[in-house]
Amino acid sequence: MSKTQTRYSEVFMNGIWKQNPIFKQVLGTCPTLAVTVSVINGFAMGVATAFVLLFSSMIISLIKKLIPNQVRIAAYIVVIATFVTIVDIVMKAQFPDLSKALGPFIPLIIVNCIILGRAEAFASKNTVGRSILDALGMGAGFTLALLVIGGIREVLGSSKFLGTVILPATVEPMLIFILPAGAFLTLGILFGTANHFEEKKKAKEIQRAIDNQMGAKNVNVTAAETTETAEKEKEA
Amino acid sequence: MELFIIFLSAAIVNNFVLSYFLGICPFIGVSNKLTSAFSMGLATTFVLVLTAVVTWLINHLILMPAGLDYLQYVAFILVIASLVQFVEMFIKKTSQPLYRALGIYLPLITTNCAILGLALFMVLRDYSMMESIFFGLGAGVGFTLALTIMAGIREELELADVPKPFQGVPITLITAGILAMAFMGFSGLI
Amino acid sequence: MRTVIHMLATLLIIGAISGGLIAGIFDVAHPKIVQNAQRETERAIFVVHPEGKKQEKISGVAQEIYKVSDDKGNTVGYAMPCKGNGFQGVITLMMGVSADLKKITGISVIDQTETPGLGSEILNESFSGQFKTVNPEPEIFGKKGAKETDNDIVTITGATISSKAVVRIVNEGMAAMRKLKKEGKI
Repeated sequence: MSKTQTRYSEVFMNGIWKQNPIFKQVLGTCPTLAVTVSVINGFAMGVATAFVLLFSSMIISLIKKLIPNQVRIAAYIVVIATFVTIVDIVMKAQFPDLSKALGPFIPLIIVNCIILGRAEAFASKNTVGRSILDALGMGAGFTLALLVIGGIREVLGSSKFLGTVILPATVEPMLIFILPAGAFLTLGILFGTANHFEEKKKAKEIQRAIDNQMGAKNVNVTAAETTETAEKEKEA
Repeated sequence: MELFIIFLSAAIVNNFVLSYFLGICPFIGVSNKLTSAFSMGLATTFVLVLTAVVTWLINHLILMPAGLDYLQYVAFILVIASLVQFVEMFIKKTSQPLYRALGIYLPLITTNCAILGLALFMVLRDYSMMESIFFGLGAGVGFTLALTIMAGIREELELADVPKPFQGVPITLITAGILAMAFMGFSGLI
Repeated sequence: MRTVIHMLATLLIIGAISGGLIAGIFDVAHPKIVQNAQRETERAIFVVHPEGKKQEKISGVAQEIYKVSDDKGNTVGYAMPCKGNGFQGVITLMMGVSADLKKITGISVIDQTETPGLGSEILNESFSGQFKTVNPEPEIFGKKGAKETDNDIVTITGATISSKAVVRIVNEGMAAMRKLKKEGKI
C-alpha cells in the first residue's frame, strides 16, 4: 500500500522538478515566452494548459486501446483540439479580459508539445489514475515555471507585480524585459541557473558516494575519475 | 505594395520566431547545423504557403458559410496534419533526393506552432486569399532566416568558452534574445 | 481493408463526439460572449461620452454607429467602433464625436495586440487623451516629438507605427461619419 503511494507521489513530483516540462524537457517554449509579460497572464496560460493536459491525458488513457496505431496521433490531436476549443469558449464567456490578453495563444495550446508529448509518452502507456497524476504534475510544473518567468519579467520590465507598482519611481523599468528579446534572455538565464544548481547537487552526490566508498577496501576507478572531473568543475 | 508590406512584416519586422515566438521548438532543436537548418526552413516554408491556401479555402468556403466558426481549431489542425502527411507521401513518390533532404523534418512540422499560428493570425486579421499567401511566404522566409542565422552562430559558438551550465539550450536562448534585439532595429521599415 | 475501415470509423466517431461537444458548449456560452461584447461596447460608449446617459444604435446604415443622448434627451453626439491594422494585429477602438462632427469627445481602445510596453501604450490616457483637444478637420496627423499645429497628435516614442495606426483609424472613422452626415443618415 505505502509502496504504491510513494510511487504515485513520485509520478506527480516528477513534473514539478525532475522532468519539469520547461527547464528539463524544453517543451512548450512558444507560449512560455509569448504570454509571460505579467504574472497573471503566465498563471492563466499555465492553468489553461494544465486543464487541457489533464482532460486530454485522461481521455487518451481511457480510449488508448480503441484507437488503431496508425491514426493515433491524429486522434490525439482531435481530442486535444476539442478541449482547447472548450477552454477558449469558456474563457471568452467567463474571463473576457484574460481571453483578450492571451489572444491567439490559447488556440496554440493545441500545438504545445507538452500535451502531445505526454499523450504519446505517458498517457498512451499508463492507467488512467497515473495519467491524471502525471498530467497534474506536469501542469503544475509548467504553471510554476510560467509564474516565475512572468514575475521576473513583470517586476523588471514594468516595475509592477500583479498589476500594482512595487518598485520606487527612481528605478526606471527595463522595458526590454517585456519585449520579445527579454523573454529569450530571462528564460536563457533561468535555464542556465537551474542547470548550475542541478550540477552542484550532482557533484555533491558523487562526492558523497565516493566518500562512502573510500572507507571500503577497493576504490572504484571510475568513481575516482568522476571526482576528478567534479573537482575540476568546482575550480572552474 | 500592400502585399509586399505583409510579406516584409512577417519575414523581418515581426519575425515569426523572434517576435511571435512561433516555431521555437525546431528553432532550438534543429538549429545546430547550417545545412539541416536551411532544409528545415525550406520544408516549413512550403508547408506554410500550402496551409495558407488550404485553410483560407476551408474557412471561407465551408466553415464561415455554415456558421461553424467555433470548429476552426479542430478543422485547422486536422488540415495541417493531413497536409503534412500528404506532402510527405507526394515528395517520396516524385523526388527521392528531395525526400532524403527534407523527409525527416516533415513529421516535425505538424507540431510546429508557426503553422497553426499562421492559420490563426490569417483569420484574426481577415486576410484575403492573396494576402494570406504572401503572409505564409513571409512567415516561411522569416523562419528560414532566423533558423539559418541561428545555426551559423551556433556553429561558431561551439568553439567559444561558454560556462558549463549555460551550454546548449540556455546560450541558444540568450543568443536568440540578442538576435531579437537586433531585429527590433527593423521596426521602422514599415 | 478491415483496418482501413476501423481507422476511418475511429476517427469519424472521435470527430463526431468532439464536434457535438463543442457545439453544445458553444450554444450555452454564446449568449454570454455576445453579452460580454455588448457590455464592453456600452462601457466604451460612455467612456468617450462622459456626459451621455443613453445610447441607441442607429438603424438603416451599414456601419455600427450609436447616437448618444444626455438625461434630458438632447443628442450629445455619436459613437462609432472602428478598426484597422496596427503594428502586430487589429486595433479596435470606440470613437466619440460631438453632434456636429467638429470635435472628438474621446477615444477608447477596445481591443489591441500591440507590443506590450511599447505599442500597448496607446491604451494610456496620455496618448488617447490628446484626441479630445485635437482639431479633426480636415484630418489628424501623427507627429514625432512635439505638436506643431492643432491637427497634430504626438506619437509614442518607440511606437510610431501603433500611434499612427490609431490616427489613421480615427481619420477613417471621421470620414465615414462625415459621409453619413452628408447623406443625412445620422
